[in-house]
Amino acid sequence: MALSLNQSLGGSVLSQYLLELLYASLATLGFSVVFNIHGKKLIPAVLCGTFGWALFLLVHHLTGSRIISIFIASFFIGLYAEAAAKILKEPATLFIVPGIIPLVPGSGMYYTMAASIQGEISETLSLGMETLNTAGAIAVGVAVAVSLRKIVQTLGNKTEA
Amino acid sequence: MEEINRILQASVRAGQILLENGGETSRVQETINRIAKAYKLKDADTFATPTGIMTSLVDQKGNIFSLIRRVSRRSINLEKVSKINSLSYRAENPCLPLEELEEEIERISRIRHYPRILDILFGGLAAGSCSLLFGGTLLDLPASVLIGGLIKSVSLLLSKVKFNDFFINIIGGALAALFALLAVDFNLAVNSDKVIIGSIMLLVPGITIVNGIRDTISGDLVAGISRIVEAFIVAVAIAAGTGMVLKIWHYL
Repeated sequence: MALSLNQSLGGSVLSQYLLELLYASLATLGFSVVFNIHGKKLIPAVLCGTFGWALFLLVHHLTGSRIISIFIASFFIGLYAEAAAKILKEPATLFIVPGIIPLVPGSGMYYTMAASIQGEISETLSLGMETLNTAGAIAVGVAVAVSLRKIVQTLGNKTEA
Repeated sequence: MEEINRILQASVRAGQILLENGGETSRVQETINRIAKAYKLKDADTFATPTGIMTSLVDQKGNIFSLIRRVSRRSINLEKVSKINSLSYRAENPCLPLEELEEEIERISRIRHYPRILDILFGGLAAGSCSLLFGGTLLDLPASVLIGGLIKSVSLLLSKVKFNDFFINIIGGALAALFALLAVDFNLAVNSDKVIIGSIMLLVPGITIVNGIRDTISGDLVAGISRIVEAFIVAVAIAAGTGMVLKIWHYL
């Protein structure tokens, strides 16, 4: 029995990545509706999560480091959201919140809990730290992008005045 | 005098809607101050935390007016955030009549969520695709979609009867674990862990913790720390719910 769609597609790395992109965009779409994003704004929101995950996969493929890939993907999500916010005249949060969903360390949280109920203290601590680091990387990535936008805006205002 | 009180109430109400529906703390402060400035007030200052807003306005004669508003329920409804945001820019120039501003704010506060059935369906879709994304197989998909829909409907129901968030998360986590283990037991899914992870993504405070760290970085220290604590409490509640069920299941 075919256990995964990937095996029936030939099982190459590329088809695995393409499938993950599909899952990431569906997850973003689901959460965008749950977060009540209406109408046409759904499209840039879903694209935000998809591009973010694509960049995560790319950087992870190249560097092999989870934290760096998460940071770069979140930085991109921040930039994308600020650009979309500027163009569509909407708050950037509208794209950041659904965009970071695929990166959120839900599995890290679960495995931390699972290790802790089995009484494996050191496993719990290392998984917990990894989960916190991931959350931190997302937040710092987004925050750097947002501050960058503010700096550009301030400089723009100065040259006008 | 009368008018300043109305401006104060309208602007703080706008801030409250933002805070209740997932707007960042800095946006709340900027929005209230922007609306106040749009109505030619000399000075406006706001201190917002996730649980309350304090605003004071100073008029041209130097009289001080202030208002404190408690915020007790927080969820995410980005449509309201988007509408309040564009309203605050519209108020700025040319200056919107005060009645119109008040009406608009009331109208935005009543914006409905998507129909409940859509919410549940897309909650299921989100849970299913998250469990695939975290390494589940296609055989885990139906179980996680169903459990995701179940968790979404239970949490909608419980928050409607004003159940405490902490208990909603314990119950959600416990239901996710229980049904995932049952599904694996009845051969309806393969990996109970992936099914649980996918379904609890609907409860996981990822957005809260990221916003908390962002607030802290941008200098809203009190707001940031309280959001981080909130996220921590929610995570503990989910872990307690799932953990309890997993532990009991192992003894059976």
